[in-house]
Amino acid sequence: MSARVLCLAVLLYTCAALGAGGDKVLRVTFQAAETGFDPVRVSDYYSGSIIEAIFDPLLSYDYLARPAKLVPNTVESLPQVSRDGRTYTFKLRKGIHFADDAAFKGAKRELTAADYAYSIKRFFDPKYRSPYTFIFTGKIVGLDELAARAKETGRFDYEAPVEGLQTPDRYTLVIRLREPDLNFAHVLAFPLVGAVAREAIEAYGEESPSHPVGTGAFRLQRYVRSSKIVLERNAGYRERRWDFDPGDNPRFRVIAERMRGKRMPAIDGVEVSIMEETQSRWLAFQRGETDIEYQLAEVAPTFLTDDGRLRPEFERRGIKLDRSTDPEIIYLFFNMQDKTVGGPAKEKIALRRAIAMAYKVEDQIRIIRKGQAVRAHYPIPAGVAGHDPNYRTSIPYDPAAANALLERYGFRKGPDGFRRQPDGEPLIIRYGSTPTERDRQFDELMKRSLDSIGLRMEIQKERFPEMIKLQKECRVMVHHSAWIADYPDGDNFMQLLYGPNTHESNNACYQSKEFDRRYEKSRRLPDGPERDRLYHEMTRVMELDTAWLLTDTRIRNSLQQPRVIGYTKHPVLHAEWMYLDLE
Amino acid sequence: MLAFTLRRLWQFVPTLGGVVLLVFVLFNWVGGDPAYLLAGKISNPAQIENIRRQLGVDQSYAVQLGIFVKQIVSADFGASWATNERVSEIFATRLGPSLTVLVPLLAISTLLGMAAAMLVAYVRGSLTDRAVMIACTVGQSVSILVYILVFQYLFAYKLGWFPVQGWGTTFGENLLRYSALAIVVGVAVSLAPDIRLYRTFFLDEIGQDYVRTARAKGMSEARVMWVHVLRNAAIPIVTNVLLQLPGLLAGAFLIERFFGIPGIGREVILAVERSDFPVIKAVTVYVAIATMVVNLAADLLYRAIDPRVQLK
Repeated sequence: MSARVLCLAVLLYTCAALGAGGDKVLRVTFQAAETGFDPVRVSDYYSGSIIEAIFDPLLSYDYLARPAKLVPNTVESLPQVSRDGRTYTFKLRKGIHFADDAAFKGAKRELTAADYAYSIKRFFDPKYRSPYTFIFTGKIVGLDELAARAKETGRFDYEAPVEGLQTPDRYTLVIRLREPDLNFAHVLAFPLVGAVAREAIEAYGEESPSHPVGTGAFRLQRYVRSSKIVLERNAGYRERRWDFDPGDNPRFRVIAERMRGKRMPAIDGVEVSIMEETQSRWLAFQRGETDIEYQLAEVAPTFLTDDGRLRPEFERRGIKLDRSTDPEIIYLFFNMQDKTVGGPAKEKIALRRAIAMAYKVEDQIRIIRKGQAVRAHYPIPAGVAGHDPNYRTSIPYDPAAANALLERYGFRKGPDGFRRQPDGEPLIIRYGSTPTERDRQFDELMKRSLDSIGLRMEIQKERFPEMIKLQKECRVMVHHSAWIADYPDGDNFMQLLYGPNTHESNNACYQSKEFDRRYEKSRRLPDGPERDRLYHEMTRVMELDTAWLLTDTRIRNSLQQPRVIGYTKHPVLHAEWMYLDLE
Repeated sequence: MLAFTLRRLWQFVPTLGGVVLLVFVLFNWVGGDPAYLLAGKISNPAQIENIRRQLGVDQSYAVQLGIFVKQIVSADFGASWATNERVSEIFATRLGPSLTVLVPLLAISTLLGMAAAMLVAYVRGSLTDRAVMIACTVGQSVSILVYILVFQYLFAYKLGWFPVQGWGTTFGENLLRYSALAIVVGVAVSLAPDIRLYRTFFLDEIGQDYVRTARAKGMSEARVMWVHVLRNAAIPIVTNVLLQLPGLLAGAFLIERFFGIPGIGREVILAVERSDFPVIKAVTVYVAIATMVVNLAADLLYRAIDPRVQLK
């Protein structure tokens, strides 16, 4: 009898030991500190990655489909969208539970449609000053009005009915929009729109950023702010098996062969270390202290050949390379309200175009990006709905033609060798820049470019917050800017040039009736040829006005240790941890 | 001594007032508007105004300055604008890791520096003295960044004697495993200037009449050096060490960033990058207070070490 008890005890202990975590802990790094894990309070990429692992939005993306393809996450199927594109109906899966937490006082807490309604309302609560309110602003019927009332009364009324957010039963969520929007589903796949439980938010109050409670694949186990974030597998996570279609992609087929049928997540946990310095990340990866590393742009030539392949010495060690472009664009913009470079007058357009034609994007990619970027031609990057890989910019690099253009429009050189305004007044191009080493490189490249066409340049050095402020106030003459997709839909990029978005996201302060008219029409269309045609026309309109010069999109080189299997960088998802395994 | 101490304590008030004014003016002049940083990628003027109102930066400068003074008096600097974490919590959790590195670093570099300085001062003019001085001059000319890069590459990556970076859960693990290389780097950086400085202190004393007298009385060289010279040279050395103490509050941000130590230095840099004024205010005020307290302590210690010192 006692022997049987002993055997049982050993068996139970072994099971418990295995279940407590095992050794499948993925080690990754962030190159900047997180700010917290309350979905409505953050805007940084790194906090967003952790939130993605802990919380569940209604929809998600297929891990292997390219371009990114929406799939149901906590819902039974993709939403039913009314014919007029104004009403979205979601049916939640039953039996999904939040991770166990003291806030639930020992009870199992099931995910309901009301949780999503509450989570969406939180974006409008002025108390949280959410950086991502814009994804819902002006969209859901009644929500902006509720926010306006909260501003007057000082209290956001979560109990007040909102016409556009209805939960007719425990598992049904109906969202009604002010305007038809056939691409709204992308917003509901955004990781920050994951469901939170009201009890947990109210229990932790101001501490909610450090006590995330979600229904996702992982839960927070240990948190040392700005240093270490340890996630463990959510033991109560719903049954999910790895079953993604690799299509014809040979690399994805290999992944699918290794991963198909595995329970997700296959790993026991994730250990995230904050390492700000490239040398630390690079040495730690080479020493095997981390498993996946992608923030190594500065040392890319150390491990890559000129044609972008992994150097043989790393291949021999079994290290794997996953190479992809980020869903982002980098662009040089002109302030269209500036009295020197702005405005629709022909000589102003000529000046902007000449500057754009003198800027050597090739040098930006070769010198500043160390070859780890590709030329951007279109405002919508690869991997985002609406992207056109065949589109070519109508603004070539041609300093000779740029010089001729300036001569033609009366920008003559003075005795000092620099060009003057057509009316003889001095001409100075003020280039906005922040006091960083990277921006110093941009300053030098811009100076060389402007020197080549005889334009005098001044650098407007501002700290980052001040630079954002000046951009929003239309007070930066020329500046480089970047935009990475919040969700993989072309609208997220084209809105950057929409006139009414001046002082918000339109940092060129570009106002064009031709552009705006087409943009407003495009918002009523689903992704497809008709919308693509409009996007083409809008891009040409912008190029004719030369509000922007598109420069590049950075390449992401993700290195993996031999023990990592199933990893590939998804264009939109940032925490691919639930899709991979460790040997 | 009591009158001296009270007088010095009273002098803290105007000094701290100057620091508060300077920080306040600098932040508002060059710090940038934090609302634009916190507002995220897309925001409208109403959202910016809401954030400014919540942070209190929409109020008059006089009111904001008054709040700053109140925070100092109550020792409550509120919460970080970027993370919502209480500033008191930031200090409570980040000071430990910083001190785990910096206290041993200061102790080891002081002891090694004193021993080496006494040795080369004793053999002044010899080949050893010249060689050590040349090495110190070279060592002092090299940036701390070079020390970190080279030591991390050599001792952590190539030789594998230490982890490249990291931080554990127990004090022993952190001190012996994760802080070790950071301490070695810190000692290597501070040893050269310490030896040069302390050598001059020892040379000043070795040339004094009381040393010649002690030797004439037949006292052993060891006793002359370790008891008489060391005791008198200790006054400026203690001053130097005490003056470094407030720096412990601000941490050693480069070392902390490269070795992944979750200390206060890293937090200060983050606060500056994020225009996180509550954290910047707290750090500045605490370092100013610590500097004043340490200066007072140094003066009182002079008296304890050398009764001939008169405090006026």
